[in-house]
Amino acid sequence: MTMLPPAHLRLTTVDTEDTVRIELDGELDYETADSLLTAVTDLLAARPRLHNLHLHCAGLDNVDSMGLSVLLMIRRRTDQAGVRLHLDDRTTTLERLLTITGSLEYLTTSPTGTANSSPGTGEDPRTSGEAMTARPTGPDSTT
Amino acid sequence: MSTRTPHRPPAAETVRDTVTESVGGTVGGPVVEQLADELWDAVSVADEYTAVEVVLGALERGVDPESVLLDVIARVQGKVGEEWAADRLSVAQEHAATAINERAVAALSLHPAARTTPTRGRITVACVDGEWHALPARLLAEVLTLRGWQVDYLGAQVPAPHLIAHLHRTDSYAVALSSSIATRLPTAHAAITACQAVGVPVLVGGAAFGPDGRYATLLDADVWAPDARTAADRLALGPLPRPRPDHQQLDDLPHLADQEYTLITRNSASLVRAVFTALQDAFPAMRTYSEVQLERTAEDLAHIVDFLATALYLGDEDLFAGFITWTAQILTARGVPASSLPPTLAVLGRELKDFPRATRILERGAEDLTPVDHSTAESRS
Amino acid sequence: MVSTQAQTGVGAQQASLWGVAPYPVLVADEQGRVVLHNDAADVLLPGIRPGTPFADVVPAWLSAAHDALRAAGRTPGPPAGQEPDAPVTGVIGERAFEAHPTPRDDGTVAWWLVDDTDHLLAQRALRMERKRTAFLSEASSTLLSSLNLGRCMDVTAQLAAEHLADAALVIAPTHGRRLPVVTCLRGGTPVLAHESVDPDEVPGLGEALRGFPPVPSRWIDPSTAPVWMVPEGFGTVGSIVITPLPGHGVPAGALVLLRRSGGAAFTESEEVFARLFAARAGAAMSAARLYAEQTSITEVLMRELLPPSLHQISGVDYAGGYRPSADHERVGGDFYDVHPAAVEGEASLVALGDVCGKGLEAAVLTGKIRNTLHALLPLADDHQRMISLLNTALLNSHHTRFVTLVLASAVREGNAVNLRLTSAGHLTPLIVRASGAVEEAETRGTLVGAMPEAPARTTALTLAPGESCVLYTDGITEAEGGPMGGAQFGEERLKRILSECVGMPSESIVERVQMLAAQWVGKGRHDDMAVVVISAPRTHHLSAVNGHTRGRFTA
Repeated sequence: MTMLPPAHLRLTTVDTEDTVRIELDGELDYETADSLLTAVTDLLAARPRLHNLHLHCAGLDNVDSMGLSVLLMIRRRTDQAGVRLHLDDRTTTLERLLTITGSLEYLTTSPTGTANSSPGTGEDPRTSGEAMTARPTGPDSTT
Repeated sequence: MSTRTPHRPPAAETVRDTVTESVGGTVGGPVVEQLADELWDAVSVADEYTAVEVVLGALERGVDPESVLLDVIARVQGKVGEEWAADRLSVAQEHAATAINERAVAALSLHPAARTTPTRGRITVACVDGEWHALPARLLAEVLTLRGWQVDYLGAQVPAPHLIAHLHRTDSYAVALSSSIATRLPTAHAAITACQAVGVPVLVGGAAFGPDGRYATLLDADVWAPDARTAADRLALGPLPRPRPDHQQLDDLPHLADQEYTLITRNSASLVRAVFTALQDAFPAMRTYSEVQLERTAEDLAHIVDFLATALYLGDEDLFAGFITWTAQILTARGVPASSLPPTLAVLGRELKDFPRATRILERGAEDLTPVDHSTAESRS
Repeated sequence: MVSTQAQTGVGAQQASLWGVAPYPVLVADEQGRVVLHNDAADVLLPGIRPGTPFADVVPAWLSAAHDALRAAGRTPGPPAGQEPDAPVTGVIGERAFEAHPTPRDDGTVAWWLVDDTDHLLAQRALRMERKRTAFLSEASSTLLSSLNLGRCMDVTAQLAAEHLADAALVIAPTHGRRLPVVTCLRGGTPVLAHESVDPDEVPGLGEALRGFPPVPSRWIDPSTAPVWMVPEGFGTVGSIVITPLPGHGVPAGALVLLRRSGGAAFTESEEVFARLFAARAGAAMSAARLYAEQTSITEVLMRELLPPSLHQISGVDYAGGYRPSADHERVGGDFYDVHPAAVEGEASLVALGDVCGKGLEAAVLTGKIRNTLHALLPLADDHQRMISLLNTALLNSHHTRFVTLVLASAVREGNAVNLRLTSAGHLTPLIVRASGAVEEAETRGTLVGAMPEAPARTTALTLAPGESCVLYTDGITEAEGGPMGGAQFGEERLKRILSECVGMPSESIVERVQMLAAQWVGKGRHDDMAVVVISAPRTHHLSAVNGHTRGRFTA
């Protein structure tokens, strides 16, 4: 199945039993990011028994802050659905963006809780060891 | 092509233009000359404290604030440019000196001797988009304020949409537009036309418009002034003519119909790339350049193409020839032979052989370059 | 051609032929006497008889034309191929005629009179219509070019005074007590005045300004016109008409036209025409008023979102520069602020950040963040705590819009500036040392507002006099372009440029970075760009110029 969103991002979806792989080609940015979120949201709704979602990032030329925001939202949705998110074949640029923004571990480590745990319940994949003077809890992720 | 010069050509051009401008409007006299010397001494070593003291001290002694602005501060800024061109000031020193001059202007404007209440109409003062050199416009804004105008000073590099929105919002009687870099003239033209289209007459100034204001006439500005004093005098004379409502940019420059300007501007990056590659054969010294030097070379090439495009826009060969000659002088002042310029123009000419107007302009540049090529730094004042 | 036989009776048949022609025909001889005429001529020129002197029965213009023709000694009949004699024109009674002469062989001339009154009237009406259309089209293009109410009123008054009257007043409706009135004399420049008057004292004016009840143009007795309505030096007013300026569903004002006594009064057609002009002027003024109302709302809302202008605070230099991604916008997703310490001697807090998204929507989010940070200022010495609280405040189950930011606390100590820096998922601040070395500050953290927690590491360092700390957003380093196109500005280039900025004042560093990045992108697309520079001033002298704290010399 191939979708052709209007802008410069092409999504190619490859299905297997309990795994879906989406290949991303082009730019994940302000104009295109929503099309990926829609695709993933529809997918999660349509496939309640899904275990793994692989986003293949090798073809991504550019990811801007809106693109990163959508990746974070996808992570939130996959966590809620009990699906493991994999960002595969990350480009140097993407790796750098995730590193600078401190979101690499959050996006690439599997949740420690049960499959249905919500992101606000305290799983903390980050390893940076600095003191936390405040540990706010996220809001309830029931949408 | 120089790659060792520490300058960036646009800033350089700006500075040179300031010289022309301030000299044109300077009024002499031993008092202001003494003040200018004192201010120069402070500014050249980035001593803000002394610089402000000189300016405010002058006001305390009753020197006319307008004279302090135009005969002291503007004159010193002119000298900053001269000293930079002669390689006696570094880029950092030049910027620091300019910033301190600007702070001196700010100090002057807050002094009671410069306090005025508006008795005349409203005037908008702005720099053309891409024009970073704000001091000449700032000086004009202060002079107009001193003379009783209500001035909206919009500062450096004002995009045309902001300028027009401001004119819709305010009942400005006129716009004063400043541009010192010739390569901003196409942008200036668009801004002039846009202001006139909303019914506001435009006064222009700054070295970009040529020492005799010829480009102001060409681009159909309503008034040209060689310096702040003349601009203020003209505005005091009486109302400016209401601009024609149907003025179109193309009416001023029918030669643009040949599309040479459009094509070269649109493809300037690939043109620079092509010349850059070809130049490596034509000018073997380039092979020994470091990465930074190569990048500077590319930047210089882009600047030459920019000037060529501007000359095409205005249909004026002198503009390009003048720029090339001046570049050669700047290189020579820095002990860099300008020997890369002729092969650069030749390569550019080969790339643009299908563009008759561009070819003529490049040939003119090469001709004018020949005698200067052998001159030295001493030949300049 | 009428034969000479007509005179002798042989041609009676022919004479009777034109005798009943619908056009008046008369024949006069060389002595200027009427020889023949037909019935139509009898009706037109009562008293005409054969033998009467031509000059006695026809108007002077026709008799003169007859004399002129005889003096010219024209031989009968135009030779083949030659134009007949040109007709002369003139008025008989209340109608206009063309008189076509036909010289005859016997020296007499037959005059055929053609009534062209309607033709002339139509021509005159056409000329007038063309003139009016040209005027209305000029008026429209001039009026539509401006969205400024003041300028629209000026143009309306000036055009009206040039084309419709000896003087014109344009009056705008107002909520205030004073009525804005633009007055223009023919040939003069428009002058704005505010009159403290009650419009209802002038018949028709109050209604015109309220737009209710609907009124057509209203004539007023010139002698009752208030003094303010008659421009100085105008002389005696002959007639005044007040026309409402209809706007887009709301009244746009009133147009008052004045003519001097002795001149022509307004005709009905002129009044209709004035209304057509008023409709255009009213629409333009109404659009300008709506625009002004909208921009003043935008202005107020925008004021909170605009980047502040920075200056020296407590011996530390701050400078900032901002360029939104689109030229027509003034705000975007980048922001910065400098908050002076509540207590002198404590650190000021600098924040620079970048929210995801673009344009106004992003700008609104920056406003929220700036407000939150402002509220958290009492905790400013604990960057981590501020960031964590901001994270909580921004977290929302519906979206993952986040912000990356740098917090910097700066305080002067002796000639140096002590800095504490915390990056929350933002690009590392750069330190420009006096040696020309450019260092990256040792701070790193996570973005704020999308993940449950936002840990960050703070670093402390000292700026010696002349040293600077540069905070910037990725719009600078990710700017695409360069002389050969397609290259990123990049951090390396930024560092190289900064290493040449040693000793430069903070505002010059900001300007230089902005300028080089702007030249790098050229005409290409770019993201929002923000730069803030924190510097330890080069000398120990306090700046006398910052516009806020009192300088040594500013009185």
